[in-house]
Amino acid sequence: MKKLLYKFALLAALLVLMNWIYGKFFFKNDLLKHSDEVQLAWNIAHDSCAMVYTGESSNHTFAWADKDRRKISDFIFDQFPEMRCGDITKDASHAEVYYYLLKHIPDDSPVETVIVTMNLRSFGYNWIESNLETPIQKQLVLLKDNPPLVNRFKLAFKAYDMSTNAERAEHRVYHRNHDTLVFPYNFEYHTNYEWDYNTNRKGIMNADGTRNQEKTLLAITFIQQYAFQIHDDNPRVKDFDNIVELARQRGWNLIFNILAENTEQAQNLLGNDLVFLMRQNRDYLVNRYGNLENVTVVDNLEAVPDQYFIDRTFTTEHYTEAGRRSIGDNVAEAVKKYY
Amino acid sequence: MLFNSIEYVIFLPIVVMLFYLLPQRYRWMMLLVASCTFYMWFVPAYILILLGTIIIDYSAGILMEKHADNHKLKKRYFVISIVSTCLVLFIFKYLGFVNDNFVALCQALSLNVNTTVDLILPIGLSFHTFQSMSYVIEVYRGNQKAERNFGIYSLYVMFFPQLVTGPIERPGNLLRQLHEEKKFEYDNISKGFRLIIFGLFIKMVVADNVGAYVDMIYADPGKYSSWDILIGMFFYSFQIYGDFFGYSTIALGSAKLMGFCISDNFNTPYLSKSIAEFWHRWHISLSTWFRDYVYFPLGGSRVKFGRWAYNIMVVFILSGIWHGAAWNFLIWGAAHGLLHIVEKAILNHIPEKENRGRLEKIIVDGFKIAKTFLLVTLFWSIFRATSFANISELFQALFNNFGVTEHLGIESSIWVYLGLFIVMDILLFNSRFDRWCDKRPAVVRWAIYFVLIFMIIACSSVNNFPFIYFQF
Repeated sequence: MKKLLYKFALLAALLVLMNWIYGKFFFKNDLLKHSDEVQLAWNIAHDSCAMVYTGESSNHTFAWADKDRRKISDFIFDQFPEMRCGDITKDASHAEVYYYLLKHIPDDSPVETVIVTMNLRSFGYNWIESNLETPIQKQLVLLKDNPPLVNRFKLAFKAYDMSTNAERAEHRVYHRNHDTLVFPYNFEYHTNYEWDYNTNRKGIMNADGTRNQEKTLLAITFIQQYAFQIHDDNPRVKDFDNIVELARQRGWNLIFNILAENTEQAQNLLGNDLVFLMRQNRDYLVNRYGNLENVTVVDNLEAVPDQYFIDRTFTTEHYTEAGRRSIGDNVAEAVKKYY
Repeated sequence: MLFNSIEYVIFLPIVVMLFYLLPQRYRWMMLLVASCTFYMWFVPAYILILLGTIIIDYSAGILMEKHADNHKLKKRYFVISIVSTCLVLFIFKYLGFVNDNFVALCQALSLNVNTTVDLILPIGLSFHTFQSMSYVIEVYRGNQKAERNFGIYSLYVMFFPQLVTGPIERPGNLLRQLHEEKKFEYDNISKGFRLIIFGLFIKMVVADNVGAYVDMIYADPGKYSSWDILIGMFFYSFQIYGDFFGYSTIALGSAKLMGFCISDNFNTPYLSKSIAEFWHRWHISLSTWFRDYVYFPLGGSRVKFGRWAYNIMVVFILSGIWHGAAWNFLIWGAAHGLLHIVEKAILNHIPEKENRGRLEKIIVDGFKIAKTFLLVTLFWSIFRATSFANISELFQALFNNFGVTEHLGIESSIWVYLGLFIVMDILLFNSRFDRWCDKRPAVVRWAIYFVLIFMIIACSSVNNFPFIYFQF
């Protein structure tokens, strides 16, 4: 037994040495190979940016008819011509991704202000358990706060959430069936699924009393995506809390940009009830983060009218030039208070 | 639970610690619970199928022994047991295949038949049914006493290190050891650890890294040049070897940690000089199972050439079908059988020249090894293909897309891993990694551990490749 303990001690020492060798000679290449988005964070430092915008596809998606196809971040940066600015844009990402990418901006970089996209849909289980989540989790492993060799070990031995699409679908169904929706007034449906099912059953009707299948499908999509309530135990809330803590440690001015959702369309399709939930979720975020020191929450939830949303058959935060510009202006106004 | 998963990294040390901490009389219970947990990690419901075969074969064993004097009755229990175990295997593994072919035949005859069978194959079914059958056969033959302890018999079928992809153990080896008291010995821990890291290296660094390129080639062979196809075929030979040999070595190591010796499944098969020798070195536990329970009862080699050839074809076709319910496995098995017969026929007419000089022997042996490896590689392409169209596309690309342009974008590190594996395989000729290490000085051993552990962590593939033999 003594011999075994001695060998374990030797093994532990070798692991420390391995960690050093791996960190020194291999880790950077592995990061670029398996978590290539880290390059975006390194570019911020490389370009000596003072202002950083982080977001997903909402930042860069444009309509073909747009004259100016630039990003939301560019419209913000336009108003600070004297500052060096950069963006970290990664499609389908969410707050956990932003947190780890922001963490990888080197400490000595001159970043002063960080704008982080707050996408309301990303708090819903349709997004939290989306099929894209497994590859995202895989990409995050090497970025986490462990010694490099430990992260590589976790990647090799699949020590991350690698649920299959079927398992994720099961989780989504579970939450849609079990997360109770609480309204301050009597509302006939108590879960996302109940609401979705009955809307589909009844259908959205045309003026002549016939079923409008297109509108019904869109209404269902809206329910599936927005009929939830954010609570303190929502994983995205934890991620945004982490971002707040990171900004505090680094001395950054932090701006949360609550993205515009198509509340007008939601109102047209489903009346006040769904919009009530969307506003309630927005209020939760404003109240949770809006009063913190050095944190500003920009409420763009209803800043973009229906006609400026690009996708017509699905709920996205993709805006035409006017929509992007309007969000950019609102965020820029908030940034100005720091300068 | 996969051997190369974080769950197993946590599970195994806990089981080993509990094993040594518990008194002997409780150990089998703990191992049985651990084995059930291990199996149920995949799909919990499958354990009911396993339980069904265990109950049948356990009861058959006792009944056969009880009626040892009544041959007719004994034989009846034996047949019931074998037929029911084979039936389970047939329903879950072959019924879909038989149904599909029946439907295809009916449609060819313009008959309107359209039945479907959609059963999921429980993991490792072919392995544990064969292990179970070997117990029944041995009891029937009187070579093995029937096991009275249902728990220990269940553990014999379900022992987690070899439950899902073997080695297929015989009761004479494993069942006996399950009754023995295992004392804590440093040597077992050391050897078990060596085997596990070597197995993980082969699986995670070699097999999984080359596997990514194999998948690319087989997904769309027409896109690639002859050179790419050759590389893909060559890589697959090492992928399947690394994958299965790696799994078996981890299984050996896991059992060794608790003092259990399970059978070697591989012995440098790619250094074989003939197909016959290849099958003495590849998946040894399956080859010997077929040899003892099919080939010998058919008459083995002590018959005329024609009958012997028939015996060989039966064994190889069965071996092919054992791997999977598809025509490509059957053809793969038949091809090996045919080649085995051709080799023997040639040897019968052109006897081996004796008293060769050293250099001449090296050259001739080298040529034979290369020839066997190339033929085995060629046959693996049939084994790996997803359909006849896939095989056809692969060979069309091989012979039509002449060129040596490499489109695969193979990283140079892959050649290093492969080279290292080949060198180790040559060094381990007729030996085993743990025993080979015994003969090296401590500094060399620890240097090897360092390199292997470092490579397992830093160089392993990050793609999720399940063990190839899980599907069987």
